[in-house]
Amino acid sequence: MNRLRRYSLPYLVWMGIFILIPTVVLLILAFSDLSLYRPGTFRLSLANFAIFSLPTTQRAIWNSFRFAGIAAAICFIIGYPVAFYLSKLGIRVRKILISLLIVPLWSNMLLRINAWEKIFTANSIVTDVFGLSISLVGTDAAIVLGMVAMYLPFMVFPIFSVLEKMDPKLVEAARDLGANDVQTFFRVVFPLSGGGVISGFVMTFLPALTTFVLPAYLGLGKYTLIGTLIESKFIKEAADSRALSINQGSLISLFLMILSITAFLLVIRVDKEGETLI
Amino acid sequence: MSKKMIVLNHIYKSYGDLKVLDDFNLYINENEFITLLGPSGCGKTTCLRLIGGFEAPDSGTIEFDGKIINGLEPNQREINTCFQKYALFPHLDVFGNIAFGLRLKKIPKEEITQRVEEVLRLVKMEGLGSRTVSTLSGGQQQRVAIARAIVNRPKVLLLDEPLGALDLKLRQEMQYELKEMQKELGITFVYVTHDQEEALTMSDTIVIMNEGKILQIGTPEDIYNEPKNRFVANFIGESNLFEGIMHEDYLVEFCGRSFECVDKGFRKDEPVDVVIRPEDFDFVPPSKGKIVGIVDSLLFKGVHYEINVIVDGREYTIHTTKFRDIGVKVGLSVDPDNIHVMKRSGA
Repeated sequence: MNRLRRYSLPYLVWMGIFILIPTVVLLILAFSDLSLYRPGTFRLSLANFAIFSLPTTQRAIWNSFRFAGIAAAICFIIGYPVAFYLSKLGIRVRKILISLLIVPLWSNMLLRINAWEKIFTANSIVTDVFGLSISLVGTDAAIVLGMVAMYLPFMVFPIFSVLEKMDPKLVEAARDLGANDVQTFFRVVFPLSGGGVISGFVMTFLPALTTFVLPAYLGLGKYTLIGTLIESKFIKEAADSRALSINQGSLISLFLMILSITAFLLVIRVDKEGETLI
Repeated sequence: MSKKMIVLNHIYKSYGDLKVLDDFNLYINENEFITLLGPSGCGKTTCLRLIGGFEAPDSGTIEFDGKIINGLEPNQREINTCFQKYALFPHLDVFGNIAFGLRLKKIPKEEITQRVEEVLRLVKMEGLGSRTVSTLSGGQQQRVAIARAIVNRPKVLLLDEPLGALDLKLRQEMQYELKEMQKELGITFVYVTHDQEEALTMSDTIVIMNEGKILQIGTPEDIYNEPKNRFVANFIGESNLFEGIMHEDYLVEFCGRSFECVDKGFRKDEPVDVVIRPEDFDFVPPSKGKIVGIVDSLLFKGVHYEINVIVDGREYTIHTTKFRDIGVKVGLSVDPDNIHVMKRSGA
């Protein structure tokens, strides 16, 4: 064990520099009036919390939760049957279909969002090729559909991995004891896939909650989400030298971080071996 | 004779090119403890799955209580199964597992509670209803699996190597308990195992199978004492097998010597297989023995010694309580009714 420890040193150093130190900086900024670019006075304060009482912030949080919630729910409704179907397939067909889900994930997300933006814009290449003019950019629907398109695989995989490992004998046992197909599903299969469902929800809901590229492109900048808000606090407002904008941004970032950690704790609670995490 | 509970008629079943059951015919009587016994891959588990409804035969009919049930789903059959690795529901506690079938039948709550407790008592698991399945020992899980099946009062209970995962001591205890339970409940048990000792201990009837066919059906005593052929003799218990010639009724020749026997009805000088159980040999002084050899090895087995005697270059296995040291010259005798003559198989 001890001998192995030094091989993990490069990564530990990396984590220290790029995760631990920034987090500490974030904490200091969030709970003080320290200016990041022009360090002068330093006073611990809770004044930054005022940001949460602003209607803009509240609307951003509400928007994020609403869109991420709806998107995760749609991912679940579409994704569960897909995962179920995949788990029933033979190895070969299954491999092909899973690659179809994975390969797009390897292309840059920005590019994919950009592509969706083009598709959702009136008189785009879709109109030239298919004669269809879709005008969705800047609507709720565009944002939700974009989120579903981006994060659907993260709902499918954890559920699939639980279903695939489920002992088929359990299904036979349920049938043997008098359950029909529907009863077998709701009394045995679904309860036993609960861990995968929770992982799936966390893994689609969280990135959707924190995204800022998606609303920028597909919402035409009309929607303020938490991610958008943080971006503007750190970049736009900071450039305008708005007092304390970075400190407020830090506080909102911490808020997101707490949400993520809570979600992670929830996942390891329901899934002790971490088999549903990819 | 009691009535036929299950009848399998001309069943064929293949997986790809592999014939698993080949014109399989069997009936199972009410209240019978019947065991399908054979090496792995002989089709015994497939046979069980056909009765349970988890597989459909390629052709042939399955009758249950006088009705053909080929088209019925597992949940429509009055048959329950005790699965090989128990297949208990991990998300339910012991009570929830056992009550699973009863809840599906919309039986009133009080009755469910009462029946589950009754069956927990029967499998000696009183008071453990609220335990999660994963905290149970192998033996306890086994009991829950049995309880979960019999609480539904099926007419037939299918058991697929239910004791396979238990250690020897526990297995012997459960064998006894299963047999008692079967008598008490009056349910037909169809038991699948590859363990011949288990089959001999528990069954009313044993069906010996190999390569999708039935080789012999009979009581444990019949099968042990009168194996029909080489395979059965080898599979059930230990045997000394010889190739011999039936000269005439009651006279068989093997190992170059003629012996009196109790078998008849063979052609004159018909080639036969002869089986003698290791415990059927007796030691006699070398001068009086028809067979004379040298003790080659000796193993202490607890109740008896296992002694290998070399006679004319071939090994005889003998189980005896009498001690004979290695290198000693011994004579062997065998009673005529302990010589079993069988038609030559696979010749």
